[in-house]
Amino acid sequence: MAGSDAPEALADVIDADTGEGELERTIGLVGGLAIGVGTMIGAGIFVFPGLAAENAGPAAALSFAIGAVVALLVALPASELATAMPRSGGGYFFISRGLGTAPGAVVGIGLWLGLVFASAFYLVGLGSYAGQVFLEAGIALPVDPAIPLGVAFGVGLTVLSLFGTENTASLQNAIVISLLVILTLFLSYGSLDALGVFGAERVPERFFPPGGLLSVLQTAALVFTSYLGFAQVATVAGDITDPSRNLPLAMVGSVLLVGVFYVVTIFVATSAFGSARLGEFGEIAMVEVARSFVGFPGALAIVVAGLLATFSSANASILSASRAVYAVSRDGIIPEAASRLNLRYGTPHVALGLAGGPIVVLAATGQVELLAEVASFLHLVMYGLICVGLIQLRRESPSWYDPSFRCPAGLAVAGVGALASFALIAFMRPASIGVGVAVMIAAYGWYRYYATDVELKGDF
Amino acid sequence: MTETPTDDREPTETGADSEAGGESEGRPSVLVPIEVLEGESLPSGTSALLANAHVVLCGYHVIPEQTAAEQAREQFGETAMSKLDEFAGALAAGGADVETRLVFTHDKDTTIDRLIYEHDCLAVLVPNSTERVESVLVALRGTVGVGRNTRLVAGLFADADVDVTLYHALNEGESPEDGESFLSGVRSDLVERGVDPEALETVVEDADVPIDTIADRAASHDAVVMGETDPSVTTFVFGMPSEQVADRFLGPVLVVQRARPEE
Repeated sequence: MAGSDAPEALADVIDADTGEGELERTIGLVGGLAIGVGTMIGAGIFVFPGLAAENAGPAAALSFAIGAVVALLVALPASELATAMPRSGGGYFFISRGLGTAPGAVVGIGLWLGLVFASAFYLVGLGSYAGQVFLEAGIALPVDPAIPLGVAFGVGLTVLSLFGTENTASLQNAIVISLLVILTLFLSYGSLDALGVFGAERVPERFFPPGGLLSVLQTAALVFTSYLGFAQVATVAGDITDPSRNLPLAMVGSVLLVGVFYVVTIFVATSAFGSARLGEFGEIAMVEVARSFVGFPGALAIVVAGLLATFSSANASILSASRAVYAVSRDGIIPEAASRLNLRYGTPHVALGLAGGPIVVLAATGQVELLAEVASFLHLVMYGLICVGLIQLRRESPSWYDPSFRCPAGLAVAGVGALASFALIAFMRPASIGVGVAVMIAAYGWYRYYATDVELKGDF
Repeated sequence: MTETPTDDREPTETGADSEAGGESEGRPSVLVPIEVLEGESLPSGTSALLANAHVVLCGYHVIPEQTAAEQAREQFGETAMSKLDEFAGALAAGGADVETRLVFTHDKDTTIDRLIYEHDCLAVLVPNSTERVESVLVALRGTVGVGRNTRLVAGLFADADVDVTLYHALNEGESPEDGESFLSGVRSDLVERGVDPEALETVVEDADVPIDTIADRAASHDAVVMGETDPSVTTFVFGMPSEQVADRFLGPVLVVQRARPEE
């Protein structure tokens, strides 16, 4: 990694004491990877396989691979920007400083709401797995418990983040590591089984769905929510140790890691069942896949893993949403009151409320696919602009821009990354695009109303 | 970093000390961690205890992970800094030479560790209060790193009219004579460094559980000086011996740090 020994010039300046104390960076490489992987893996493995297979058949593996490539094309430029500006706020920070206040405001408010949509989506997934616990225990419920449970978890997590002052970083690391162990075992077994090692070789389905490449791309747009987590690493950039080395490694590494897991998962799932059958299972398709391999213990392991994974995704996204609120409020794009902390718990109660409240409302709608696509839409706009920002900064090359990691073939990667990000949006359903555009227009309107006098370009 | 003005007194260290590090103008560096916004104030007796030290006063504020460190600094930085300056003033008035650091952190241990390293501190104070500083218990484990203990004790208490009790619990396979000769070596080192021989006392004991005996003996003293211990399963389960002693003794404990490897 180029320049990993270079002095953390900007990071040092920000952390240093300016009469009000210095800042300690406490998240290392493992912590950064855990944030990225922990946020992403809940969706791609535990929520999407059934839905994706229904839409694209075994070629859903290709959809996930496309998502990974797009994410990588953005993760590399984002890494460069993050090492140049290792501050809280991630993509919002890069865009507001690189491109100016107006795009910054749209992205900042979009990032907050994008994470709100993503959290709501994870919560519905979490609710599905929690509901599955009742089914496995043989308790019949009169209604589908997924949505009420998701809402309950949403309220619970918000309250927990308001008052819980225990640092759960090491717990998060442990959860992610146990998830990876369970999944590695499960997917190794599943792959061997799919290849016919344990008995009759299964007859593979036709790879491409009836809809052809279009279905694959539409599915890629749908499941892109599974790749939103790498940007969450950038939202805590201000807390990452040795940012010039750890930020790029954590962002790129987590995308590669989950990408491989997703592709193998689809391969295993579509080998075990036909795509139509997987679609019927819906969010909890992986539970049935595990059951078909090793019966009840397998199903139970996946239910537990699914609970952990969707829980950690939802939790990480709520916290990131509150960080996004802080970042825009610090800059005066929304009233400063939004970033107040309470002295007793040290938590940003207003920002957490602004995240948790809408999340609970959206989770109550239970519109899994819409929530996922709107979340992806808002993130993809930010990703595209991150790439544009990189091109702009490389061209202008302002004196403060001194990244310690330089994206190889930066302009080309960023150019393709921007095009790919915006192109993926085109394959979403009209309803999702409509909601996404409405959010962006509202964000821009707010900027015109409230924050036209804020100048952020190149401001540190 | 704020340098708090101190009085013009010459450093009290008398014995020439050629060993580098851990000292500023001959004064032993002691890290005093204070959780500055949690209503924690400077425990009484601290300025008397550290009158001859170079104090690195580390105000820290632990923030939950929901909160960005920057966010906390923005809101609490000024209040915390003014409180810290107040404590620094009290220490300086007692005679110490004070440097302050204020850190917003998600992890207290990382911060304290880093500061010990950056300032090359000889010891860390577990800040508990004491009414007076007239007698100090110095628990010594063995010859390894004992020089750091003697530098600290001589630096802090040589001219301070404080009784120093050197205590050694016998290690396995060690005879009482070995223990005596170890302590008498330490004793003469201290005398050479300017500690009044009259103020020194030595105790060698065969203790089943040294932690218990140290904590019991500490009750009749005003402060304890002891070394840090390598982390192990036992320290993970029961906590560091110095923490255990501090919890039971309830008075100030100076934990002497091992020499840090050069970077």
